[in-house]
Amino acid sequence: MGSSVSRLLRGPAVLYLPAALFLLVFFLVPLFNVAWMSFTEPDTGVGNYIAFFSSSFDVGVLLNTFKTAAIVTLTSLIFAYPVAYVAARYGGAFGSFLLIVVTLSFWTSFLVRTYAWMVILGVKGPITAALVMLGWSPPPQILFTTFASTFAMTHLLMPFMILTLYAVMRRIDATYMRAAAGLGAKPLKAFTSIYLPLSLPGIANGSVLVFITCLGFYVTPVLLGSPRDKMIAGRIGDEIEQMLNFGGASAMAMVLLVATLGLFALYSRFFGLDKLWK
Amino acid sequence: MTKSDIGGISSPEQAAPTTAGKVSRRSFLATAAAGAALSMPAVRRAAAADEKVLYVNTWGGAWEEAAKEALFTPFTRDTGIEIRTVAPVSFAKLAAQVRTGVYEFDVTTLGVAELGRANQAKLIAAPDKAILDPAKLWPGAVVLDGVASHAFGNVLAYRNEKFPAPGLQSWADFWDVQKFPGSRCLQRYAGRVIPIALLADGVAPDKLFPLDLDRAFKALDRIKPHIRVWWSQGPQSQQLLRDGEVDAIGMWNTQVQRLVEAKAPITVSWNQAVVDVAYWAVARGTPRAENAWRFVNYAVQPEPLAQFAVKNDYGPMNPEAFKYIPEDKAKQLPTWPANFKNSIVLDPAKMLPQIDEFSKRFDQWIAS
Amino acid sequence: MYSEKTFPIKLVAGLIALFIAAPMFIVIPMSFSTAPSLEFPPPGYWLGYYQRFFTDRNWTLPLFNSIVIGLGTTVLTLALAAPAAFALVRHDFRGKALLNLVLMMPLVVPHIVMALAYYSYFGALRLVQSYTGLILAHTCLSMPVAILILTAALKTFDRNLERAAANLGSRPLTTFRLVTLPVLKPAFLVAGLFVFIHSFDETVIALFISGRDTTTLPRQMFNSFLMQADPVLSAASSVLFTAVLIAVAVPAVMRAMRRRRPTPGRA
Repeated sequence: MGSSVSRLLRGPAVLYLPAALFLLVFFLVPLFNVAWMSFTEPDTGVGNYIAFFSSSFDVGVLLNTFKTAAIVTLTSLIFAYPVAYVAARYGGAFGSFLLIVVTLSFWTSFLVRTYAWMVILGVKGPITAALVMLGWSPPPQILFTTFASTFAMTHLLMPFMILTLYAVMRRIDATYMRAAAGLGAKPLKAFTSIYLPLSLPGIANGSVLVFITCLGFYVTPVLLGSPRDKMIAGRIGDEIEQMLNFGGASAMAMVLLVATLGLFALYSRFFGLDKLWK
Repeated sequence: MTKSDIGGISSPEQAAPTTAGKVSRRSFLATAAAGAALSMPAVRRAAAADEKVLYVNTWGGAWEEAAKEALFTPFTRDTGIEIRTVAPVSFAKLAAQVRTGVYEFDVTTLGVAELGRANQAKLIAAPDKAILDPAKLWPGAVVLDGVASHAFGNVLAYRNEKFPAPGLQSWADFWDVQKFPGSRCLQRYAGRVIPIALLADGVAPDKLFPLDLDRAFKALDRIKPHIRVWWSQGPQSQQLLRDGEVDAIGMWNTQVQRLVEAKAPITVSWNQAVVDVAYWAVARGTPRAENAWRFVNYAVQPEPLAQFAVKNDYGPMNPEAFKYIPEDKAKQLPTWPANFKNSIVLDPAKMLPQIDEFSKRFDQWIAS
Repeated sequence: MYSEKTFPIKLVAGLIALFIAAPMFIVIPMSFSTAPSLEFPPPGYWLGYYQRFFTDRNWTLPLFNSIVIGLGTTVLTLALAAPAAFALVRHDFRGKALLNLVLMMPLVVPHIVMALAYYSYFGALRLVQSYTGLILAHTCLSMPVAILILTAALKTFDRNLERAAANLGSRPLTTFRLVTLPVLKPAFLVAGLFVFIHSFDETVIALFISGRDTTTLPRQMFNSFLMQADPVLSAASSVLFTAVLIAVAVPAVMRAMRRRRPTPGRA
């Protein structure tokens, strides 16, 4: 018995097959089914795709999705960088404090944070009150606008970006910067010629992760966004919930999936897939 | 409505003669299902058969509170059938239930347009005559398998600080964003928004039907950029107006009445109110159909209905119900004969031929 | 020595951190508010919304469901991911790169796509609105998280410990139980915790495939958003936030306490 158990424990197939089969049946097959539906519901053919790409509205939604994802990625990068930088370079109690705040936010549910922004940006919320105090009358309505959902998504994804940046920055050797300073480089010069290039992999990782997550965002744009500037995930949800059009929804889902995986493939070609999570 | 319109949502009876594409998808899934070899829900369905429970789809908030007091609790007391509520109301869910065979709720209320849609898509069951006999109710009680319960107004309401007196007085004013700049809000519901759009565009109430859809959508195009949010749930409309997230809104009289009672700084206009009727409907194929019909039969009896209606300022559809309502109150309700005669009532018979077309068109319009 | 003014950049970082933390300064006071809807600052304070959160069946059932589904997902994910992680770290086999790709894919595929996939697939399998369906779906999505944590831990594991045990005559299974498992226990705990949170927070798929009796907490919160955005939401949010706070802060504080002990080489 001992030898058969040890053989079992040694053979890799028995170790990975359960997980592989599970993902095949409960992940890949349902996903293929979506691809299948996109070509067969309600009629066989590429009708759903033609309908999607010939609708100026749907193409607009797709472009708007990419645009929003780009804005969110860029904004969150700009705000995330200083935080990750300070945490990685100076560490100490302040660095730990920053990391704890970020980690807390990271693990706090998207819904909870979306709700918070609903309160903050609402007509009876503190932002409007502040604007009124500053003399902006009548105050603008912020909720249910593209600004509100873009803003909230930036906030939601910033911890993502910070932690990814931090993971790379932590490994940048501080002596380089000191050496540069010792050689007479001004701090800004030392930063742009040494630190920034060394942190590029982190920027790439974080940006890809944030961009991809943003492409498929459903909850926040649906709850805080404007009904006029839809994102593709919300559009897919609409197609399922309101119009019960599974074929159309599947075609849109495939477009989203291909865009996501394509970006991902592009990234892994340049940086290697493994690096994304390390 | 053709089967393809509702994309794969078809009742079991309908499933067989369908397109080739769908059959092969089914067989594809069946193969996958065999691989998975999981069939837990069989247990669940067996258990459902003789439950003393009924799931009612509700609009939440004030609606649910009134229904609990006037309908659910007395019904449970009389029959021992426990009523559990399921929110929010969703037409899609009603359709999905037939597709999946898993019933989240057994009974729901539908407006005229949704009733027509549900009936055509075979999503709701015909009355069980042994329990609810249409002949024993008042004339016109049962329409398209729905049992008429109450009428309510889709009224215009707005924030006072945005539009000081005289304020908005008609749907034309609601549409006039030059004269009354501010954000708007309407229900995401074709059967009510389209008549409202036509009224705003100047169509006389008696010339409303058949609906001029091209004209309606042209009018809707004009207001669309100013619709800040489309509401879908009753309490949501209340919250949006109460918090001032929207400046003017088309909403139900009940919901707005609660705000008036709470002294919110708002004004309600009954002028050109579009009166819709809510019908009780039973989800087709539910294992609790018997309990469901017993409940529906109870809910439209004069006394419970009168109580439910008064609590919500609804107009009871059962004329007998007025016997249980004091006359001064009755005179305020939408179905008091003098009021009903003069209001713009959505008539199922007149709307039915167009329901499919405008529902589809509205869905596409709103998504684009 | 180098002279660099660190104060300005630290100030910037601090302000951004404040921004990141801002929602919680709103949600927690809101949860004690007496206002019937979104109003900040609150007009008064009470505990009524907490009471509703912990007594109203519309909230307690989803809370219970989310815990059940989260635990089910954790157990199933670890049972599948742990052996796979061993295979990935310790063995070379054909198709390893492909396996790696498949294991990581759920991380990239947008949730709305999977929601549609499960809605239709589980619909055909009669698994919608069941615990089973949700656990299966969440297990797929959590697999990458568990694999990442477990492979990382396994890579740093010193196999000489196992070899030593084997040399001393221990059988493989005994070695696994007495040597490998105890060393890896923290990694399992962390993986389990992350998987649980992952499942507990998942909204989009639950929106589409959970139902009346299996409604999860995020779904109930989402619906409540749409229904009336009442402050029970803020009570629910505060409870969730407190749970995260405990999960994140307790290990951090413990680590800090340990650090207090004099460590050699640190002046």
